[in-house]
Amino acid sequence: MVQEYDHLFKLLIIGDSGVGKSSLLLRFADNTFSGSYITTIGVDFKIRTIDIEGEKVKLQIWDTAGQERFRTITSTYYRGTHGVIVVYDVTNGDSFANVKRWLHEIEQNCEVVNRILVGNKNDAPDRKVVLTEDAQRFADQMNIQLFETSAKDNINVEEMFMAITKQVLRAKQETKEKQADQGTVNIRKPPSKKKNKCCQ
Amino acid sequence: MSTSQDLPGIIQAKLSSGEAAITVHEASLMQGWVRASRILALVEHENECALFIFISSRMPPEVFTDLAIERVIPVDADFKCEIDAGEQSVDVYVNISSRKLKLLFEMIPGLKTNNFVSEIMRSMEALSKRRGPPPEFQWLHKYSGSSNRNSADCVASSLDTSDDDAFKASKTEAEKMLDILDSPDIVVPRQSIAQGATPIAARESVIRHQMSMKEDDYTFTQTLRMFIGTWNVNGLPPSSSLTPWLASDLEPPDIYAIGFQELDLSKEAFLFNDTPREEEWRKAVMAGLHPGGKYRQVALVRLVGMMLILLVEEKHVKHVRNAAFETVGTGIMGKMGNKGGVAIRVEIHNTSICFVNSHLAAHVEEYERRNQDYHDICSRLSFSKFAPVKCIKDHDQIYWLGDLNYRITEVEINTVRDLINQNYFPALIQYDQLHRQRSQNNVFEGYHEGAITFKPTYKYDPGTDDWDSSEKNRAPAWCDRVLWRGDGIEQKEYRSHPILKTSDHKPVSALFDSQVRVIDVVKYRKVHEEVMKKLDKLENEFLPQVTVDNTEIIFDIVRYLEPQSQELIIANTGQVPVQFEFIKKLDDSKCCKEWLNIDPPVSFIMPGEKCDVKLEVFVDKKSAFKLNSGVDKLYDILVLHLEGGKDIFITVTGNYERSCFGSSLEALVHVSVPVREIPIGKLVELETTKEAPGGMEPYPIPKEIWFLVDHLYRHGLKKQNLFLLPGLHSELLAIRNWLDNGSSEPLPGSLHSIAEALLLLLDSTSEPIVPFNLQSVCLGASSNYLQCKQIVVQLPEYRKNVFLYLCFFLQELLSHANENGLDAKTLATVFGGIFLRDSPRPSARANSTVDRKKANFVYHFLVNDLSDYVVSKALHLGPSS
Repeated sequence: MVQEYDHLFKLLIIGDSGVGKSSLLLRFADNTFSGSYITTIGVDFKIRTIDIEGEKVKLQIWDTAGQERFRTITSTYYRGTHGVIVVYDVTNGDSFANVKRWLHEIEQNCEVVNRILVGNKNDAPDRKVVLTEDAQRFADQMNIQLFETSAKDNINVEEMFMAITKQVLRAKQETKEKQADQGTVNIRKPPSKKKNKCCQ
Repeated sequence: MSTSQDLPGIIQAKLSSGEAAITVHEASLMQGWVRASRILALVEHENECALFIFISSRMPPEVFTDLAIERVIPVDADFKCEIDAGEQSVDVYVNISSRKLKLLFEMIPGLKTNNFVSEIMRSMEALSKRRGPPPEFQWLHKYSGSSNRNSADCVASSLDTSDDDAFKASKTEAEKMLDILDSPDIVVPRQSIAQGATPIAARESVIRHQMSMKEDDYTFTQTLRMFIGTWNVNGLPPSSSLTPWLASDLEPPDIYAIGFQELDLSKEAFLFNDTPREEEWRKAVMAGLHPGGKYRQVALVRLVGMMLILLVEEKHVKHVRNAAFETVGTGIMGKMGNKGGVAIRVEIHNTSICFVNSHLAAHVEEYERRNQDYHDICSRLSFSKFAPVKCIKDHDQIYWLGDLNYRITEVEINTVRDLINQNYFPALIQYDQLHRQRSQNNVFEGYHEGAITFKPTYKYDPGTDDWDSSEKNRAPAWCDRVLWRGDGIEQKEYRSHPILKTSDHKPVSALFDSQVRVIDVVKYRKVHEEVMKKLDKLENEFLPQVTVDNTEIIFDIVRYLEPQSQELIIANTGQVPVQFEFIKKLDDSKCCKEWLNIDPPVSFIMPGEKCDVKLEVFVDKKSAFKLNSGVDKLYDILVLHLEGGKDIFITVTGNYERSCFGSSLEALVHVSVPVREIPIGKLVELETTKEAPGGMEPYPIPKEIWFLVDHLYRHGLKKQNLFLLPGLHSELLAIRNWLDNGSSEPLPGSLHSIAEALLLLLDSTSEPIVPFNLQSVCLGASSNYLQCKQIVVQLPEYRKNVFLYLCFFLQELLSHANENGLDAKTLATVFGGIFLRDSPRPSARANSTVDRKKANFVYHFLVNDLSDYVVSKALHLGPSS
């Protein structure tokens, strides 16, 4: 029997209002873009099935309202999330400044989660205010992968979703291996604390 | 299901005379990307069966004119029916295919589906057992819209491709629907939804179906050289190298399928199916293979004397999958292994191939028995490790080899030998039984055989090339044959190898260039991804979708006890019915705050339809205090949840106009001006500090209570049924406004309204006059006035004041009992419930005993002299300065 998918992951897109969360989702799920801005009032999701290294992964991607007043409610949607996509707008310094808060929000509401930082609207160099170097420095500091995307021009969107999905997939495989390791503990050899750093 | 009982009758009415619907069933046709309702009927006409697919303008159909025939598929040799009951999916998927046509039906599991499918299987079985010429399906021609088509064409023709104008003109409603539903796949018109097309639930069957439909897009063909050999070795061990047989060609083949018959004629082999010959001949084969290739044995199967070996060139081995073998005995008693067939099946790349080696019944005259053996092998040989089970015919390519034992008859043996000596085989083949039986379609239907250009391979004197010189003097015969069936097969050689003289048969070989479909991994991924994308897109499109006309509901000014409502219109703009519900958020116990009411909180909307939801704000004593004191605001975010879909946030805001209703007595006594005149913050501050700003001397009781009581004292002492009859709501609101805003006008409203306003005011205070923590003590003391008295003395100051003030007033009322008809018991009951208000906690449920005790408590203070209480002078009734 052909299985529809090997993995089902829930991804969450968060970030300030107007940074293009819904546009990223629309680009990834439907490969469309709408220039007109419609604020997301609530949470919406779309699905997409992708193939990663031969594994069929079904993604359920949740798009959340970015407005401040909904923050306490949207935090309830973090439950059960495998990966969070934190989006800022490269043409809006405040949205980048708020990334810290969003990362904090993740810590507060998720136990273990894979994160990715996304600077969207990276399609108008003259309006760009958040420099790649600054964003990269911050991302390195937070130990989080950075992508600069444009949902409008379809730049890096696919790659970004693939990257977070790979991250989630890898985390799942590592957990499995860890569990398998624990199942067969070698009593003569104490479990070594030293672990090979996983390649980032 | 009374309607479905009529279904066979309705179907029958649609058919012509002489045609009988054997079984009828409802099913969903997976059409492109959605499923659509269909009615299937297995119809019989003079021992020929066909599957009719009907479309109905309504489900279930009521009369036969509701039906249109979408397709008619004859149950012929190409007809296939496979069940695909996945473990994960609830439904049964039935694949119906015939040549290039592939249809996938979804059926509800159960007896009806079982019966239906088994009837189809039965009709297929009947076909396989059928003797004589194959069915011609003449009776189906009328359904194809054109009379000169043969049955093969009628398979794929559907009504709307008919160019018969007269026929088109008479199209029924149902037939017109065919045009709509045959529109290109991904577009899902709303019409089709209304007609019962729904999104696909189980994707995997659909993905497989779609992938098989698109096979040409991601496969290319690769030609493999196949060597098919057969030799009846007459029970003898190998005595010479097989190279002249197996390696007589320049190029090494890619695949060898080598069959032997009469490997061992010993009793042991027959009874115990055990023989050393197997290994001897296997070794001989391995030693005799073409030196230009390296071969691996993929499978070997043997039944008594019939052995089949499949060898594949090393470079192809990794592309060979799902190898399986089976045997069928058709010998003594119809089942022993002295005759019969052995088969090996594999998939090479994306092409399924079956090799069959058979040894059919012997003796010149037994050609019908040979036909029967062939049919028995076809019907009985199945590869049971697959689900669904695969039979010989379920393969893309079939190579059938063996000692088929058909003879050359009805011709003088000398003529035969003459023709052979002249190498004039086309004349001789006319007398070949297999040739004759095949041309009469009695055996090997659908199979091909190359022209025979070699001498008959039977019967020789072993060790020679001489014809049988024994007493029997058997006529030569082409016993040993190779036939094939399937597309993309080209025979390059068909020959015998007389140089091998071990047996009384000569070995035969056939060489084929066979095209197998190879999956282009890159293209496959791409096509698979496209299929997935389409399904994803469809799944996204079929998510519940609504729009709401307003996500920010703003109520302007909201006042105490004055309900206000607004409508929210939820429109189902999606493709599927929507179940919505306003759900609780965070740790809330309800989906909205207590001052809000949502009607309906849960409902169901069909696509294209709307639902009006009424949002009503109503502030009463439960919520007023929180709003007055600033603990709560008229602000709430509702979560409108679509089942299986998204959530929408609806913000509700309003301005609450604070009021003396729902304040605390302690705050009110510190307010000398009308409540609304003090700024919002001040009231909140008063509620928290209970201290007057600017050191104002607090009133002994709230002025609002005094206003109401004073009015009743002046005007209502003689009023009948005071506190017993209700006031008017509008007057209550006017009284509320008068109290909250202050006015030089006299207090509005009737005495009854004013009396009720007093009760409401007392009932709305944040805390009751007797604090909740003292209530059980009061109830316990209710039979003893002295104890009651002591409790009252200990009440917080302003509450004690209000309590006594009201009791003085009620005594005054009772002193006019003659005129107003009131009595102490009744008033005690009314005020008992107010002074000793039930806690809002649900555990403190009221009951009649408690109510009686409350009344008893108050009663003491209505009938006893209260003059010994030390009270503020201001409490005395009567006009104050």
